[in-house]
Amino acid sequence: MPDLHPYRPVTTTRPLALACLLAATVLGTGCDRHEASAVRSTVPTPGGTLVYATDREPTCLDPHVGGDMPQVFLAQQVLDSLVSMNAQGTIGPWLAKRWDVSADGLTYTFYLRDDVHFTDGTPFNAAAVKANLDHMANPKTQSSTAGGYIRQYRGTDVVDTYTARVHLETPYAAFLEVLAQGFLGIESPKALLRTRDVNCESPVGTGPFKVVRWDRQSQVELVRNPDYNSAPPTAQHQGPAYLERIIWKFIQEPSVRFASLQAGEVDVIEALPPESHEAARRNPDLQLIIAQRPGNPTNGTLNIRRAPFNDIRVREAFVRSADIEGALKSVYFGEFPRAGGPLSQATRFYSPDFEHAQDYDPARAAQLLDEAGWSRRDSQGYRIKDGQRLQVHVILGNRTPPSEFTLWEQVQATTRQAGIELVMEQMSDVQATKRQADWDYDVRVGYWNTNTADVLRIIFSSAFIQPAGVGGYHQNTAGFSDPAFDSLVQQALATQDPAQRQALYRQGQAIASSQYLQLTTYPQSTRLGIYKTTQGVRLEPSLAVTYLYDAWVNK
Amino acid sequence: MTTTPLSIASHGAPRQRLARLGQRAALRLGGGLLVLWAVATLTFFALRLMPGDPVLAILGGPSGNPTPETIAEVTREYGLDKPLVVQYGLYLARLVQGDLGVSYSQHMPVTRVLAEQAGATLELTLSSLVLAWLLVLALTVFTAGRRGWVGRLASLAETLCAALPHFWLGIVLLAVFAFGLRLFPPAGSDGWATLVLPSIALAVPLAGFIGQVTRESLELTLDQPFILTARTRGLSDSAVRFRHALRHAVLPGISLSGWAIGALISGAVVIEVIFSRKGLGRQLYQAVQAQDLPLTIGISLVVAAGYVVANILVDLMYQWVDPRQQEALA
Repeated sequence: MPDLHPYRPVTTTRPLALACLLAATVLGTGCDRHEASAVRSTVPTPGGTLVYATDREPTCLDPHVGGDMPQVFLAQQVLDSLVSMNAQGTIGPWLAKRWDVSADGLTYTFYLRDDVHFTDGTPFNAAAVKANLDHMANPKTQSSTAGGYIRQYRGTDVVDTYTARVHLETPYAAFLEVLAQGFLGIESPKALLRTRDVNCESPVGTGPFKVVRWDRQSQVELVRNPDYNSAPPTAQHQGPAYLERIIWKFIQEPSVRFASLQAGEVDVIEALPPESHEAARRNPDLQLIIAQRPGNPTNGTLNIRRAPFNDIRVREAFVRSADIEGALKSVYFGEFPRAGGPLSQATRFYSPDFEHAQDYDPARAAQLLDEAGWSRRDSQGYRIKDGQRLQVHVILGNRTPPSEFTLWEQVQATTRQAGIELVMEQMSDVQATKRQADWDYDVRVGYWNTNTADVLRIIFSSAFIQPAGVGGYHQNTAGFSDPAFDSLVQQALATQDPAQRQALYRQGQAIASSQYLQLTTYPQSTRLGIYKTTQGVRLEPSLAVTYLYDAWVNK
Repeated sequence: MTTTPLSIASHGAPRQRLARLGQRAALRLGGGLLVLWAVATLTFFALRLMPGDPVLAILGGPSGNPTPETIAEVTREYGLDKPLVVQYGLYLARLVQGDLGVSYSQHMPVTRVLAEQAGATLELTLSSLVLAWLLVLALTVFTAGRRGWVGRLASLAETLCAALPHFWLGIVLLAVFAFGLRLFPPAGSDGWATLVLPSIALAVPLAGFIGQVTRESLELTLDQPFILTARTRGLSDSAVRFRHALRHAVLPGISLSGWAIGALISGAVVIEVIFSRKGLGRQLYQAVQAQDLPLTIGISLVVAAGYVVANILVDLMYQWVDPRQQEALA
């Protein structure tokens, strides 16, 4: 899922930490108070309410519309998907019992379960599948994510009540993978007939919970679907969920969220701030779940369409002059690991071979810059060529979290040693988007959360150099164009054979890595803090999204 | 403030006076409408002249993946393909009819967003204003004009309070009373308990301001001969202060309260974010970030309208508290 701002927008945590310290010294009490530990019951208990607190409020609860991470977290509790994905990245049945793919990869026939109903009473069938795919592809839905993932979609035939045949324009082996994402969850066709804005408030699925009420800026209330019978094979149990009710709260300030968890006022928090990881681990009342998200890790993508990064030697020198490991240690207290390759470890077909292909190596950086003609230095120690200083501009939108900004300051300090001047330009998100559309940057910070290696095609293939539409912007931020690479990622979509796809995507990663298109930093992650009275919270594997179906509370 | 019946030296017939008051109110109202128009226009152009395409803002930010058809559809649906002046004209025409449009980011009519969020902010603003005045009445009125350390200390406290930033106070209150002592919930907007800390955070700096102003005018008043007269009649000190002096001294404080409504709403932006409260302030913050034009203008208009109404009320209250104002009118 494309998303540049997964964090709270502006307020920093430091004043709060300071205030805790103040409270601790003045009152002899701080922010780490514990009460006596309760014994966790290992037997699931039905009933009870779970209070979940997250940082950002979705703009629409229907994940087809727009398509931002907060939407999919909530939708995962309400909607089932056509297929499921397990921790190994293998696709399994869910609402579809099984499927066939035609030899040319253009037709997918889904054989559906015949015993599932949406929570508004509408039966789930082939017509529902057609209505959903049509809905995602319909421009009126304004689907940025789900619609963007099924650009190849041509239409669906309802073969019989429980058989749906989906036609694609071009072969798309990643189709099943994206179908497993909550963004492409299946909704009641009857509910989809309502206006987009009504459906945004109360999407209807076949899932374990249903939306009761959305109190804006405060919370969404979900209740159990008592007739639930369509849990995926990845779940720990079948039948209705254990929890009676979920209160899905929005608490933007990370330290307030963490304090609410420590106080037991909320049972689960999302986006646990890295500075609180250690405190959470030490606290016997809390349990942590931290998982990397698949896709393209957080990175600065280099614009290779203009100088100086049109020279691969300068690109390599820049990447090797940045001490990312050191920077991560100081900014994120070692809580965020380095991501060294174009795919994050959690992605299926990730190859570990490129993890250290771009490591910090100032000696090699210096040598490369000398070779590239940037051998002289000016009075401030920056390298010059033809009277020009070696300068690169990194564009940061104003919703870039402060910690990310600090990370780039660290990069700035180490590249300076190599004689490269890194100019950090902070501006409004809209301005940043404009600069991106105009190719007016050297480094653009971003990431891409998705459960398929096909992300390589979106961020590096020449088809994505063109903007998506009038006033649009390109997804291939590097401006990389290589027919060999294009054909590789296209071939990978044309085969269903995992071994072949593995081999093709390995080559794809090799090209991306050897071209030094990105300075990758750390993988995106889902980080949950769980209070002692709650158990069974898991992450749904396709996007590492919270999944409360198997959870229960002892309160 | 006072229960003493007023003996108003009225000039002219009451009807005439009412007419004059009505005229004044109409003039104020006209000015208010002008302010609202200016706010709508400024916000419209400020947001539209920001670089970048609002379509992308609508479609969920810089690295969305929309198809060209989706972009075209959004452009059409929100009328963004028309020239800016035409968009402005259409927008004003709708505004006059009371149609604030549909929020891009909330997927619902702006009026509904306002209806859902205004209550919480109003609650917070009013409780802060009341609390601020209670603090002023309790501290300033008792300590004004006292020589020696009591007066000086209280005056210093007012200056300090007035200088406290809302966000800092909010964070300290959170740390001490929510995280530390756990007396109040750190987040949320349901029930009186969640209102206490945010109200204090907003009220204390405001009380400092109003207190400073009120102290100054109270000290002037306490030196007036009629105060001495009242004291010689054997009235107690607090009776003198509350029934006689305060009535004269409270005017600057009241006019400051009109300004305070505006200040409280801007303070609410920060406080609502820190305390995770629902409300217009936090909504405005998000609307600006999402470049949600209709919602930003809608909230700005409501805030401006609140400002205008508060100032009209203050004006009327002036008339009520101080009979001299009515003479001036005559």
